[in-house]
Amino acid sequence: MLTLSDITVRYGERQVLHRVDVTVARGELLAVLGANGCGKSTLLRAAAGLQPMEEGSVTVDGKGRGPLDIAVVFQHIHLVRRRTVLDNVCAGALGRLPLRASLVPALFSRELREEAMACLDRVGLADRAHDRAGSLSGGQQQRVAVARALCQRPRVVLADEPVSALDPAASEQVLALLAELAHVEQLAVLAVLHQPSLAARHADRIVGLRDGRVVLDGPPHSNVDSLYQPAAMEAVS
Amino acid sequence: MTIADGVRRLPVPSKPRRPRTLIAGTVITTAVAAAHVIAWNATEVSFGALAEGWRGMADFLAEAIPPSLTWDVLEPSLSGAAVTLWIGLLGTTLSVPFSLVLALLAARGTAPSPWAYQTARSVLSFLRAVPDVVFALIFVTAVGLGPFPGVLALVCHNVGVMGKLWAEALEDADPGPSQALRSAGAGRIQTAAHALLPTVTPQLVGLLMYRFDVNVRSSLVLGLVGAGGIGFLINQSIRLFKFDEMLTHILVVVVLIVAVDRLSAAVRRRLS
Repeated sequence: MLTLSDITVRYGERQVLHRVDVTVARGELLAVLGANGCGKSTLLRAAAGLQPMEEGSVTVDGKGRGPLDIAVVFQHIHLVRRRTVLDNVCAGALGRLPLRASLVPALFSRELREEAMACLDRVGLADRAHDRAGSLSGGQQQRVAVARALCQRPRVVLADEPVSALDPAASEQVLALLAELAHVEQLAVLAVLHQPSLAARHADRIVGLRDGRVVLDGPPHSNVDSLYQPAAMEAVS
Repeated sequence: MTIADGVRRLPVPSKPRRPRTLIAGTVITTAVAAAHVIAWNATEVSFGALAEGWRGMADFLAEAIPPSLTWDVLEPSLSGAAVTLWIGLLGTTLSVPFSLVLALLAARGTAPSPWAYQTARSVLSFLRAVPDVVFALIFVTAVGLGPFPGVLALVCHNVGVMGKLWAEALEDADPGPSQALRSAGAGRIQTAAHALLPTVTPQLVGLLMYRFDVNVRSSLVLGLVGAGGIGFLINQSIRLFKFDEMLTHILVVVVLIVAVDRLSAAVRRRLS
């Protein structure tokens, strides 16, 4: 289980997150929704250790976050486009490999390559293993990014607006994949989303943020209109 | 009625003129103009002298044309051009490992510490500041005349230039892939090897090809100070007043430079 407690983040004078508490159980896909600037991505970055916090703690299964516990799937995907799909997925395991076994892709072991192939198979792209990552469509690249996250062997996956650059069909595929990973692999998955309809179809629970505070924590079909009211937008801007 | 008849127009407000901008513009323009006047005088530019001395140039060209195209001249010219090419090639490729290490140390984001960053930047500045001709003269005193000091000189100077260019390319790289691997627990060297360097490889190779192009031309100049190659032959023919042979060597150089330039441009175009 991922537990975020009392997360408080400040950008200079502006407090972006106010003592936010969020939990994600194993086997659960939690969607975080809210208007632009409400602090969704900041919350995810704080959970991933990419954003310094003023206060708060992040624990995984009751213990402090380990360096490999949490994998992140980014909005802009961030694959190395010139490398093969397989090499990109193998790179997800770098954190647990000694330098001498990982300085160049040629040093990756057969076991690691086979594990990466299994991750690729999990996202339905095993047949593209030797293609350059840059030759894949946006949706396929995001699925490779998910495979890279799996190769890290995490207990938690954080996805920062993973479908914002994808067409509707690819968005459905990626969200369905994240939900399946949560349910089948028993991972705790937290996804920041902009589309309430996608969250309603795929998430197990939604959390709504407004002005850096949790204002909604409920089932996926909850009414989220209040999160996008103009008052909230004005307060943020 | 046409669409233009119904177009709504608004008066354009006058652009605000800030006194500080005007003063800064005037100061910069004056300073640049003054620098050019000083440069004009310091370099003794005189179009009158050029016009008066045209006869000397004409005599020089008359002795050079037609070029000597006998095999006795062409054969050493071609082998000299080949040596010039090899000096440029080795001067470029042998500098790659040193340039790469210094570039990684001299780029924000890959430098392990501010101290390493400043040291690497200083080394690169020093190597860049010393002209390759000066390096060549130093190495000639160590290993004697010939192509080898030329190679060493080019390596030293090229490390300075290419290291800086590469460091800037590394700093300009998309930080996304590196951030993704760092968040997956990868170390600094792993991140550089698996995200940063593969991302900027086209830029690094493009700059390498550009430096190869420059180094072949530099190795020609190094030949003039005793580092071998076709530059040495050009210097020799001028000293012996064999201007027709000099022109032959220069024509061979033109072919060589154009060929290298085309190759370099083709590789860079393909990479981009």
